[in-house]
Amino acid sequence: MEYVLNQLINGICQGAIYALMAIGYSTIVGVVGMVTFTYGEIMMIGAYGAFYIFLSCGNNILLGLLMSFGCSFVLCIAVYKLCYERFFNAPRHISLLCTIGFSMLIKNLAQIVFGPETKSMLNIIPNRIFTLHLGSVAVDFRLLQIVIMLLVVFLALMLTFFFNRTRAGIALRAVSQNKDAAYLVGINVRRTALLGNCIGCGFGGIAGCLLAIYYINFQSYTFGSFSMKAFSASVLGGLVDLRMSALGGLCLGIIENLGITVSSATFRDVFAFGFLILMLIIRPQGFAVKKGTRV
Amino acid sequence: MSTLKNLWQKKRWIFWLLIIALLCVPPLLKILGIYKVKALYLRYACNIMMYATLAGSLNIINGYSGQTCLGQAGFFAIGAYTCAILSTRFGVSFWVLLPLCGLASGLIGLLVSLPTLRLQGIYLSIVTLGASEIIRIIAQTASITGGAMGIKGIPYPWLFGLDAFRPEYYYFIFLVLGILFLFCTSRILNSRVGRAWISIREDQVAAKSLGVRTSFYKSLNFVYGAFWAGVIGCAYAPFVNFIESSQFTTDKGFDVLAMIVIGGQGTLVGPIIGSAIVTVLTESLRFLGVWRYVIYALIIIAMMWLRPQGIAGATNSILAGGKVKRKPQKRKGAAA
Amino acid sequence: MKKILSIVIALALCLTAFAALADTIKLGGLAPLTGSYAEYGKGFQIGWDMALEDIGAEGVNGHTFEIEVKDSQGDAVVSSTLATDYAEDDDIYAILGDFTSGACKADAEIVDRYGITLLSPTASAPDYAGMSPFCFSIMGRQDGEAPFLAKYVLKKYLGVTKVAVVRVDSDWGQACFDNFKVQADVEGLEVTEEKYSASENDFSSIITKVKAANPDVLVVMDQGEPVAKIFNAADAAGWDIQHVALGPGTSEQVVGMLTNPDNIIVTSPFFFDPNDAELTAWKERFVERAGFEPTVHPACAYDTMMLIKTAVEKIGDGKVTREAIKDALTGMEMTGVTGRILFGPEGDITRDYMICGTENGKWVVLKGFDFVNE
Repeated sequence: MEYVLNQLINGICQGAIYALMAIGYSTIVGVVGMVTFTYGEIMMIGAYGAFYIFLSCGNNILLGLLMSFGCSFVLCIAVYKLCYERFFNAPRHISLLCTIGFSMLIKNLAQIVFGPETKSMLNIIPNRIFTLHLGSVAVDFRLLQIVIMLLVVFLALMLTFFFNRTRAGIALRAVSQNKDAAYLVGINVRRTALLGNCIGCGFGGIAGCLLAIYYINFQSYTFGSFSMKAFSASVLGGLVDLRMSALGGLCLGIIENLGITVSSATFRDVFAFGFLILMLIIRPQGFAVKKGTRV
Repeated sequence: MSTLKNLWQKKRWIFWLLIIALLCVPPLLKILGIYKVKALYLRYACNIMMYATLAGSLNIINGYSGQTCLGQAGFFAIGAYTCAILSTRFGVSFWVLLPLCGLASGLIGLLVSLPTLRLQGIYLSIVTLGASEIIRIIAQTASITGGAMGIKGIPYPWLFGLDAFRPEYYYFIFLVLGILFLFCTSRILNSRVGRAWISIREDQVAAKSLGVRTSFYKSLNFVYGAFWAGVIGCAYAPFVNFIESSQFTTDKGFDVLAMIVIGGQGTLVGPIIGSAIVTVLTESLRFLGVWRYVIYALIIIAMMWLRPQGIAGATNSILAGGKVKRKPQKRKGAAA
Repeated sequence: MKKILSIVIALALCLTAFAALADTIKLGGLAPLTGSYAEYGKGFQIGWDMALEDIGAEGVNGHTFEIEVKDSQGDAVVSSTLATDYAEDDDIYAILGDFTSGACKADAEIVDRYGITLLSPTASAPDYAGMSPFCFSIMGRQDGEAPFLAKYVLKKYLGVTKVAVVRVDSDWGQACFDNFKVQADVEGLEVTEEKYSASENDFSSIITKVKAANPDVLVVMDQGEPVAKIFNAADAAGWDIQHVALGPGTSEQVVGMLTNPDNIIVTSPFFFDPNDAELTAWKERFVERAGFEPTVHPACAYDTMMLIKTAVEKIGDGKVTREAIKDALTGMEMTGVTGRILFGPEGDITRDYMICGTENGKWVVLKGFDFVNE
């Protein structure tokens, strides 16, 4: 019992990071209307940004997160200009290949610029463990896990506030729902899409930074598999629905970790993708309540 | 000039024969001892032929029925592993294995296609991607596939007593498979089935309303594409002599996708051109050292900007994007 | 003007004539310079360059050495294509590389047919070297190290009975574990095993799972950063347990990545002894060029070049051919940076192992065991 609960907490924490990645991913897909395969590299840039901040300014986590948000935000302007803007009316596979190309570009550039070796972020957050006693069962929480979960919830709430209460956020939602209609009511669609894309990427950057802190070591190729997870989680949530994507990410994290509990860690991705495929057979639109726009 | 054009239209097979004869020249030069072509170049030629057929099989799915499949590496792996297992354990002949591997792969294609029937667009893509990863992980862990050890010493095919280890001979296996693939595919594309695929690609709802059984044809499309991926996987396994699961990652699938997008989807020559361009580019940029893939990536992006439908893409289709779509060109007969 | 030109031409001619006189032994290098193994590819290249520098311009017996390194991306198809190119080039005397066992196994048939040595610094698959008499590897056979770990480190040195093994699911990891298990059964150790795929990042659930079995010691079998990730995950879970690793050797990099660097015991064929001026200098030279601490891999690459040099020395006044290099390497013995190298009948080596631990983040050879040479 204790063991399963501990695994559940591992799952929830990993799921929380997946959820953050998925929120960013869904924001991008929502406003741009195209999927991206550069997401892993966006997370990577976030992680490198934070790494160099920690190296030069000490372990200031807030500064690190801001830096990772900023780095990914700036990189995404290039992604938007190169891979999306020109191809809004073109078939999907063109921008898809562009993002694959861009991903290759950034991955290899990072290897040249930052060096191919593994970087490590040691002791950014001190390792403390809290034990919660529920009757006879003792469950361990790590400070890092708590910080990550709280941070993810906080960021998700901020984004919700932004989308529902600010002018720019509402414009973003309008663009996400219908570009032509948004254009008709006087929204600068291109600029709004750029902003939305960059905000989504910024969240990806923060997720990358958190991943690097959580797993300590990273190099430029580490993030590719996470990009797939963000994609899967986002699909689970119906691609454009932020809340459902977050739920999708959480589900993926929990299912992977419970799967490992009953079998082997080699099958991690089998559980993730197996769950995704099963889910899509039962509910082709994912968790989304309404049949959303099929992107 | 007009006589040439006339000849092209009436006796197209002459041109095909000419092209095939030209393709036979490099290895023949070496075999007959006229000129010592480097084995390196012959191996590149083998790679190009192999990837051309593999990309062609993906093009059937992506280019002709408009479903974005990202998991071609999985079907390829099924073919390669079936060949490796049956030939090393039971000594089954390569030539028997070719159709067998295709069928095995086609069966998996059918399985993958079933859940995808209700899905469209990117939902379908992620299912194929996931299936490809699941296949790879199973190959990595199952004992029959050698697990992490992989399968080594896959016997070279019997080739009229010739030593198939040498690329100048193996080249012909890929060449024959490629021609066979093109021949079968062009026949199918000009049949009821092919037209059904193209109609689904252009407008699924319209196709359905005209009585095309879209589910059936989409499944068939997947099975046929997977079949050829399996066949070429079967030819790949003895060529590299050793296979392991890390050869079939999703990146391989993306490479093949890059080939068909660069070469052009929805035409038969597109994948061939794409395969040649990608292979020649990645090899000729070697002198750049670590900068190679940076430049290669830039070239890919530039190509998408300059010619989004690919070098030889179907311009008269929904696949031709961006500017081309806004100014539709005159239809020049059916695609392919 | 004409005069100057003629002098230049004459000089150039002299130089080429001179170059033709000095017999250059050209080697082909295969290394993953791009892709996810790029770190090791760079290490290979630097290791080879350093070895060339140490051999010096005068060379051996009038032979100078030269290496051409090509990027194999660690991919079997690319590697075998490049190996074919080297094999066909009559100027190339031997091939050094590749990094992954998979690429080496794909090259095995080719080097066998063409009769050229393939000397891999790091191919660790147990069935690789036996594939051809031309295939060599100096990674060390696992039927030596893994039983050593079970018998001496776990049973005699630590005196434990319950062992949890977390290992990478690769050909190497499998060979390690199989060999380990045989000896562990002999020693009466109780072993639980957990596998993970090579691209794994999250080890918290594996740690939680392994912890539930309540072992006395945590053994990790992998070669690079995952070792650090696993031990860090164990530390993060607040699990106070002895860490033992098989595979990373005395890697400075791994120690640099640990949250608690003073709780690790490894088996290693060599370590950068701070009292050994030569080794320390080697390490510093590497760091200066690479910008990161060396693992065992570049040291192995360095040794492969030295092996070729020793082979050429052994050939002596005889004619240096591909065949001669292979013959010289077969059964050859040499002491390199990575310790004693003695090729066995299959073309791989069984190394002598030490038990190393850390003190204040620095590697030391652990005292208190003299039973290794029993």
